[in-house]
Amino acid sequence: MDKITLRITRSGGRKTTFVVRYRKGLTVLDALTEVREKQDSTLGYRHSCRMGICGSCGMTIEGLPRLACQTQVSSLDTETISIEPLHNMEVIKDLVTDILPFFDHHRSVKPYLIRNDVKERDHSEMEYRVLTKEVEKFLQFDYCIMCGLCYAACPTAALDPLYNGPQAIAQAYRYIADPRDEGWEKRIDLLDTSHGVWRCHMAGACSFVCPKDVDPAKAVQLARIEVLKKRILRKRGKEGSKPVPRPATAVAKEGVKAPPFDFGGARN
Amino acid sequence: MKRDSRFRSGLLSSLNPLGYNVERWSYALHRATGIILVGYLMAHIFETFQLGGGAGAWANTMNALHSLGPLEMVGLWIVAGSAFYHGGNGIRLILNEAFGKFMGKPILPVYPYSPTSLGRNQKVAVWTITLVVLALWVWAGAYLLEGLGVI
Repeated sequence: MDKITLRITRSGGRKTTFVVRYRKGLTVLDALTEVREKQDSTLGYRHSCRMGICGSCGMTIEGLPRLACQTQVSSLDTETISIEPLHNMEVIKDLVTDILPFFDHHRSVKPYLIRNDVKERDHSEMEYRVLTKEVEKFLQFDYCIMCGLCYAACPTAALDPLYNGPQAIAQAYRYIADPRDEGWEKRIDLLDTSHGVWRCHMAGACSFVCPKDVDPAKAVQLARIEVLKKRILRKRGKEGSKPVPRPATAVAKEGVKAPPFDFGGARN
Repeated sequence: MKRDSRFRSGLLSSLNPLGYNVERWSYALHRATGIILVGYLMAHIFETFQLGGGAGAWANTMNALHSLGPLEMVGLWIVAGSAFYHGGNGIRLILNEAFGKFMGKPILPVYPYSPTSLGRNQKVAVWTITLVVLALWVWAGAYLLEGLGVI
């Protein structure tokens, strides 16, 4: 393969093609950069870190949502690459989509630690301490880079603009599972709607395209189980019987020494 | 929050699993078979509603159905397959969604990534259901052919 052809869907749905010289290690983002530098400076696309950290360069490549910087041209096994903007989002220009509604969904599930003791939260004199086994319950979902690929792949989000989406629900579960958080009840109520966890039908497309193995499909099902548990407790008149998460200060007072977190040898 | 649905890829896209995982195909089949079953239910209600018109109306409805010839049996065969698939896959989804079965526990992602929710257990569940449904569908076909006196 000496050359590759990029077939790009641009603003208004018009398609333009560009030919780029192939070289070993060429990513789709490299190819797009070459097009903008040498062939068409009006081509619009978004990128930043070029190493799969920032999540800016999400686009539909060969029919699947992918990060352009993480997609090797050689892995696509074709000489003509179709590139479109991410689905389920408004196109601002060419391959640049408006991700604000996606961020709105994220914001709507309160993706932050909620502490009842505001004084402790704002002027804490000791660290929040979490045990390794507790961290393991939510760390996977903490790796989300908010690239929006899961949202673009989700067949439910393709139909329902009000659906929270896999990313937001995964982040909600990430905080529900966090022992430091005391806002889990509020968050569960936010998810217990017809546009929340009940709208997911487990297609798994979100997990399939996730570039960080956050596995949003798993988080959505785990969140749904929490919602179900709360509903059952409420029906039995036992609301509040679920133990509230232990305050970090209490853990510290108990003198429990949390072992240093073990990354399983995957990271140093 | 924007409520604009113009930028959504829509129903056809949500039913199109090309390039995706087997669970996504399963989702599309589940939707499609659900639509078939709803269509059948509507037709069935209409059919039994004709009983209210007396024996003559009922006989006319039956004659109209039988005039379709083998197409009637093909239709019933598709409905049977849809019911088997929708029911079987529905059981898997209940196990997934209400009990977290086949999803795996939260893990520490290690490259190359392989989401446990789409892992071996999930694949075994999907393919087991598919094979059982196919076997039942073949059996239903044979049963209908036997009814027609073909075999």
